[in-house]
Amino acid sequence: MFIWRKLGRVFDPGAVAGRPWLHAFAQAPASLQRDGALRMYFSCRPPADAEGQFVSYSAWVDLDPANPMRVLRMADAPILTLGELGTFDEFGTYPVSVIPHEDEVWAYYGGWTRCRSVPFNVAIGLAVSRDGGSSFERRGAGPVIGYSPDEPFVMSGPKIRRFGDLYYMFYIAGRSWKMADGRAEPVYRIRMATSPDGLHWNKHGRDLIPLRLEADEAQASPDVHFFGGRYHMFFCYRYSTGYRGHERGYRIGYAHSTDLLQWQRDDDRAGLQPSETGWDSEMVSYPHVFMSNGETYMAYLGNGVGREGFGLAVLESRS
Amino acid sequence: MTLHRSGQIFDPRAHRLLAGCTEFAQSPQTLVRDDGVRVYFSTRSADADGRYRSHPAYVDFDADLRTMRSVSTHEVVPLGVLGTFDEHGIFPLNVLRVGSEVRGYTTGWNRRVSVSVDTGIGLVLSHDGGDTFHRVGDGPVLGPSLHEPMLVCDGFVLEAGGHYHMFYIFGQRWVRETPDAPPDRVYKIAHTTSVDGLNWAPSGGRTILPDRLGANECQALPSVVWHEGRYHMAFCYRDAHGFRHDPARAYRLGYAWSDDLTAWTRDDAVMDMAPEAGAWDFDMQCYPHLFVHQGNLKMMYNGNAFGRCGFGLAQVVP
Repeated sequence: MFIWRKLGRVFDPGAVAGRPWLHAFAQAPASLQRDGALRMYFSCRPPADAEGQFVSYSAWVDLDPANPMRVLRMADAPILTLGELGTFDEFGTYPVSVIPHEDEVWAYYGGWTRCRSVPFNVAIGLAVSRDGGSSFERRGAGPVIGYSPDEPFVMSGPKIRRFGDLYYMFYIAGRSWKMADGRAEPVYRIRMATSPDGLHWNKHGRDLIPLRLEADEAQASPDVHFFGGRYHMFFCYRYSTGYRGHERGYRIGYAHSTDLLQWQRDDDRAGLQPSETGWDSEMVSYPHVFMSNGETYMAYLGNGVGREGFGLAVLESRS
Repeated sequence: MTLHRSGQIFDPRAHRLLAGCTEFAQSPQTLVRDDGVRVYFSTRSADADGRYRSHPAYVDFDADLRTMRSVSTHEVVPLGVLGTFDEHGIFPLNVLRVGSEVRGYTTGWNRRVSVSVDTGIGLVLSHDGGDTFHRVGDGPVLGPSLHEPMLVCDGFVLEAGGHYHMFYIFGQRWVRETPDAPPDRVYKIAHTTSVDGLNWAPSGGRTILPDRLGANECQALPSVVWHEGRYHMAFCYRDAHGFRHDPARAYRLGYAWSDDLTAWTRDDAVMDMAPEAGAWDFDMQCYPHLFVHQGNLKMMYNGNAFGRCGFGLAQVVP
């Protein structure tokens, strides 16, 4: 069982002025620790266009490593432009996951395009920073992990890790589109790929996490860390339809593994539930666990899947 | 080596096809059999909003390539389900016999918002000799990648030297002729290999033919065959803009040869067939398919309007 103590909301995009591209949302927090600094990446949106459509950008805040509730600095611009006409990431770069790569920082991100029969499609892109992770340029105009026979669409939510000699990518892959109330909703599962160099990826080709709620349960944000001789994954899951409220919205789940291939799901140990009231009372989602100054933290999203920003909890005990 | 036109051999308007299709028989591709030749092609149905969907079909010819035995009226390859890469059409279909199986490499089409479409190359299998096919999965075997960002399509596969070789095209960019014009695509021919025909790595954006019309030349539908000591490639190429209505910028046929499938020498003069004004293939020639039949190198191809009125045959004269 993980015992978390909630520290509150770190970052509220609604309180930010002078950045029209950061109008609302601070989604999918992902940390980078480098040279003693703690940077938290997130994804955000300018106001919707005339048709009610959003684009999404990614950005960062620097947090105090000794007290990550304290924001030291904020990006002045999105870390990456949107893609060119007709490319996979023309309408969004969300979410993002970063890792040091020699003297560069590499960012893997979900690139969004718009489709006719379904609202969108997503594939995983790669962008590189040579200024320590402040700004990035895409490595190519296309995705670094794209579609394949059994991962046909909606490749998103990448989380990059390095264990031993390999890079590991945990992500979600679409399974089907389901019509609900006249709206197409993607059903997706958590999957994994490995790479020797971060560029060429071998898909593992199996769902990692068994189902709990229903056959079309949606699972997202597979956040893996190694501790005490085993791998731990926090993730979030929800019903496939009617999930925009408390009852069927996102919850945080947990699984563990000794080999990264076979995972034991044990959500009762996750230990982070919605609050009775406040910014995270409807749902909790998109967990990201990181360590700083000897403490273990979870960054996570609250109501509206990050519309009102992200918060932190600190680990009191684990067993 | 030169090509001689043998005339149009199939007009879809004379047949009842699947899905109420009445026009278009595009990208003829052959499956040579003991008693004749099956020619796959894609025909088109129209949605209520006028947008087309392509569907594979076939016609069986006797060995004379003139006498038609039958034309398919059933669904040869079903289109993909909601949100998949081949939901809005399959065109073309390239077939390859492997043991008792017939493999089909499809190009699947899906509609986009900012540009008209994107595509991917799929794999479908037939266990009834090529009458019907089922897909190996809902996604493509080769789709957009880091340096081939869009419009991966027109796969043509052959076996050589213990490997499968695929010639295909990838999009480099979308460009507008004028600021208000709709975007037009630019794509090039590439080559990759596979040990099993299922797992394909992209070529990394490497083109294999020089451009004749400049950087925005569009190269499409490569078709490659071994005949009399070397590999021959037919393809088509056109301007990026104005190609639908201006014959001067429309598809023309190109040719290249190679000894090793890697280094290609382009020699489009081979394809100069000099059709007479007003002929079915005078304004446009496109979607060529080379094949060896009864020891001779032959070619099928489409004519005017991207094959709206069917396809024809040409013979190679050494």
